[in-house]
Amino acid sequence: MDKTAMLAVENLSCGYGKTEVIHDLSFQVKAGERLCILGPNGCGKTTLLRALAGVIPWQGSVEADGVSQRGLSPKQRAKKIALMSQFSRAAFDYTVYEAVMLGRYAHRSNSLFPSETAADREAVEDAMRRTGVWELREKLVTRLSGGQMQRVFLARTFAQEPRVILLDEPANHLDLRYQAELLESLRDWTADGKRCVAGVFHDIGLALAFADTALLLEEGRELGCGPVEELDEKLLNRLYGMDVRSYMREMYGRWT
Amino acid sequence: METGTKMGILLLAALLTLLFGVGIGSVYVPSADILAILAERLFGRSLPEHIPANFSVMVLDMRLPRVLLAFLTGAALAVCGAVMQSLLQNPLASPFGLGVSSGAGLGAALVIVLGLASAGLGTFLLPAVSLCFALGTVFFVLLLAAKLDRRMSNVTVILIGMVVSLFCNAVMSLLATGSPAHAQRIQLWQLGSFSMREWSAVWALFPVTVLACLYFLRYAGELDVMTFGEEQASAMGVDLRRVRGRLMAAVAVLTGTAVAFVGIIGFVDLIVPHIARRFFGAAHRRTIPACALLGGTFLVLCDLAARTFTPPHEIPIGSITALLGAPFFLYLFFAGRKDG
Repeated sequence: MDKTAMLAVENLSCGYGKTEVIHDLSFQVKAGERLCILGPNGCGKTTLLRALAGVIPWQGSVEADGVSQRGLSPKQRAKKIALMSQFSRAAFDYTVYEAVMLGRYAHRSNSLFPSETAADREAVEDAMRRTGVWELREKLVTRLSGGQMQRVFLARTFAQEPRVILLDEPANHLDLRYQAELLESLRDWTADGKRCVAGVFHDIGLALAFADTALLLEEGRELGCGPVEELDEKLLNRLYGMDVRSYMREMYGRWT
Repeated sequence: METGTKMGILLLAALLTLLFGVGIGSVYVPSADILAILAERLFGRSLPEHIPANFSVMVLDMRLPRVLLAFLTGAALAVCGAVMQSLLQNPLASPFGLGVSSGAGLGAALVIVLGLASAGLGTFLLPAVSLCFALGTVFFVLLLAAKLDRRMSNVTVILIGMVVSLFCNAVMSLLATGSPAHAQRIQLWQLGSFSMREWSAVWALFPVTVLACLYFLRYAGELDVMTFGEEQASAMGVDLRRVRGRLMAAVAVLTGTAVAFVGIIGFVDLIVPHIARRFFGAAHRRTIPACALLGGTFLVLCDLAARTFTPPHEIPIGSITALLGAPFFLYLFFAGRKDG
């Protein structure tokens, strides 16, 4: 196995109940790399992320940072892999600081009165400064805009200090500027070459601009995998059932 | 204001409410006398001459257990409400939605209709059977939800809980109609009452409430994470199925025990957590103690109203809480709507 692989997936199968959605899938994400998972609706992208994040059971082998994820406790797993989903509302009035501090859950010990350690506070402040929500720390999460909320969730994901961040359409419902900021923060996060991101994006243009490798997923099976620059256009067209490039040209044509 | 200061004020208010709750009634007992009576019983201090002998009986055997029972019930229901709302990420959820109350009600109705409640063993048979039924119903609801949906998403749990609750209520109504002689007693139980005022009930509810509250506090971190969504919580390292199962079981035991002794008292579990969060924030390590103190205080005040507004008749406690709770529920609903 490649030593620089931060996330190594081999022969992964998973699904819901008796319905298998992902079949025998293998791929790797190297340290410092950003992978986008492409495929039409219903091809199993979200299911794959949910399995990798330990939300649903899976068969096969998953290694993160060289550690097999098989049989790990949820907390141990969460120290390696984090999942950030699309924008969701908060139900109760936590302050922004409290909400980001929740990202430290996996690092906390079980006790009746757990205390925040210096490492917790440091990680939280660092995460909040990275995402520009430090100034919002006293605010209530229920009063934030969608863009602010998603930055808070990103800060919480950073505070978890994982090696792998899985993204499930994190930029949905976000205005252009917030999308750009979100992806910029994530790019910075992988820049030190010790961490990696694997994500699903609703927008192919956004995905290809953000990622450096792409995994094409067709009905739960790999159709192709490789650097974004060398992406086989024929495969992409087959995957989406249309001429993707000319559609993109047409769509963005008026800007050139 | 600091959380500690606020909690201190709340604690003081709770103690004062308890004192007034014991003092006010058909005959007023001054607070100083209550303290003197307690000092005599607890520390063997001699009773001042001016206190009539019957005051001691009234305070120790009648009012104090009743007020303490009201306080414990309020604390138990409010804490369970807060935990359920977080578990289901729904500000309108309550433990009763899981079928706790309807299950307990069905058990109680069965005991009453079969004529077992009048016998000597009725005092403890009724609560015991209704507790068993409450737990059985919750277990059944969760089992059914797990069968239908392996991940037991909260929508499934809420829906099944509602269906099972309605079914139990229907059977209860049938029982009441089928035996008109017992209908009134069943109805009374459905609205709740503290007139049982026995120390045995206090001693049964006290340890369960304290232990359950500590148990919930132990899971405060998990509850915080879970309010932001189940999938996220699971990905953040919460052992979702295990934690949720344990907490729901604890909620069922605590609510079931409270309901078994005093009958169905609605709205405390729904309103109090919202008030507690408003003053103490949403973090459970503060919400849970605040709910216990606020809920207890609230129910002692409601019980005070129930037994002093129309003497010598008592208003069912459930009507008082509903009278205050229904408008609040509507307010919550409409305030939430404006947001969305």
